[in-house]
Amino acid sequence: MTGRTARGVLVTLISVLWLVPTWLVVVNAFTPTEQYTGSPRWWFTSAGLFSNIRAAFDSADVGQGLLNTLMYSVIGGAVAVVISALAAFAVTVMPVRRPGLWFWFIFIGTVLPLQTFLSPLFTGYATTNLYDTQYGMVLIYVALTIPFAFFVNRNFMLTVPKEISESAQLDGVNWLSMFLRIHLPLARNALLAAFIFQFTWIWNDLLFGITLSLSPNVRPVTATLADLSGNYGTVGPPVVLAGALVASLPTVVLFFVFQRFFVNSLRLTA
Amino acid sequence: MDVLTPADPAASRTRPRRSHALVHDPRSERRRAAVWVGAFLTPAVALILLLLLAPFLITAWRSLFDDNGVTARFVGLSNYIALFSDPDFGRSLLNTVLWVVGTLVLPVLLGLLLAVLTHSVRWGAAARTAVVIPYALSGSATALLWTFLLKTDGAVNQTLNAVGLGGLQQEWLLHWPMNTLVMIVATTWQATGASLILFLIGLQTIPSETIEAARLDGAQGFQLFLRVILPQLRPMTVVVVGMSIVNSLKTFDIVWLLTQGGPGTASETLALTMYRQTFTLNRYGYGAAVSVVLTVVVVAASWLYLRRQVQQRSGEGV
Repeated sequence: MTGRTARGVLVTLISVLWLVPTWLVVVNAFTPTEQYTGSPRWWFTSAGLFSNIRAAFDSADVGQGLLNTLMYSVIGGAVAVVISALAAFAVTVMPVRRPGLWFWFIFIGTVLPLQTFLSPLFTGYATTNLYDTQYGMVLIYVALTIPFAFFVNRNFMLTVPKEISESAQLDGVNWLSMFLRIHLPLARNALLAAFIFQFTWIWNDLLFGITLSLSPNVRPVTATLADLSGNYGTVGPPVVLAGALVASLPTVVLFFVFQRFFVNSLRLTA
Repeated sequence: MDVLTPADPAASRTRPRRSHALVHDPRSERRRAAVWVGAFLTPAVALILLLLLAPFLITAWRSLFDDNGVTARFVGLSNYIALFSDPDFGRSLLNTVLWVVGTLVLPVLLGLLLAVLTHSVRWGAAARTAVVIPYALSGSATALLWTFLLKTDGAVNQTLNAVGLGGLQQEWLLHWPMNTLVMIVATTWQATGASLILFLIGLQTIPSETIEAARLDGAQGFQLFLRVILPQLRPMTVVVVGMSIVNSLKTFDIVWLLTQGGPGTASETLALTMYRQTFTLNRYGYGAAVSVVLTVVVVAASWLYLRRQVQQRSGEGV
């Protein structure tokens, strides 16, 4: 009995501890800039959230940043998932020599530290005029998210029985239609899970945003927010927090919508 | 299910067709297969090669030069020699080790603890939501929030003052090793949700019969956890621990946003040292040497982890 009480107290304590910072973000995002005194507030004084959001959108182009990020996350994530599904199909279903070698060749991308790519990419982008362009950003995000999406897809395609592709092959179905009609529909859940992971990853990326882009109509929202809170920022913390809150909303929503789905799809592979 | 049904009738037709295929010219057949494989693999391989592997190899090559972005002079391994005698690099390495250990101890252990404590409790879902929300927030939002909390006139000091513990007030981000430790705490706040979810999935795969049988044998509380639950969680633990090690070795975002590695270089991790050397100081060769060292450490760690995982797989027959 005492054990259960202790457990209850402990869990409640941890939950409260976790909620306090979340609470502070919300309350202070509601504080009007002119009432902000330099120290954080603990309770709502007025509903200044929308004027703060407007200020963030006006002064720092958070709106344009959000649009850029949305485009990179959706296009980048989708293209990466399709390309990695093709590669996963080749490695698991098609008669490839040394599939293990190809696996490591692609998978190594998740292991290498991201900072290693920065300087040569910067130089390469500058010489090929990809620097500070939306094409360039999509391209790098696709390349960066392929390895993990490939890993998820490959693990799934290994579970598809070999007999299916063998008999399809004997029926004279070519590889492309086998991929499109059999493996792609079967892998639908794995594809969706991979897409959500990669969408979130691109959404939250800061490193490549600040390195490979400069102008407001190319920069992702994470970079915009980092500028806003940096030394040169001209707006107060409430505006920054309001902007951050808006920028986090899509991933929070996505996360809760797909929470059940996440658990299920992961359980399949466990 | 519709997709699966053609499999059986086709299987019965297998033999005559296969012999027919053998009569076919095998060389042109193989060539055609190679073209197909190429078409499927090329996009992924080309992108990885051009945008990830080539930059990495260029970085590795560059680390052998004294390169300021304008002129480059071949200096062999002297960047590495300079690196290992640089006290700043030593501190950066130490901070990175602190991050690895800290994120193993805090988010991973707390995630495990919370998963086990809230797993079978009805109101557990509420507690889990509280912990998972920060995980869905972006890294930069988290960093903004913690700047706000940890500033010298921030929320933490304000609270300490209000409850009469003013003596405990600190300049949290201005002194080493306190700044690294509080940033690990900030990461814990955000990252525990991820390990919590993974451990919950792991707990759900344990058959309830196993737990019941252990209960009947008299295992209770901590004993039950240590002897039954923990061994059953092992495959998931390997995944969580491995992810935690690789990610913490690459720690960048939160430090960059909270302290920019400062004051001075006190809270830099390897990733930040590399970034500053290359992009702030234009010491391309030296920065490249840092990133090669970082790569060697991460690849070694993840290889050890993957190898271990594979061994366990075969050992347990999963």
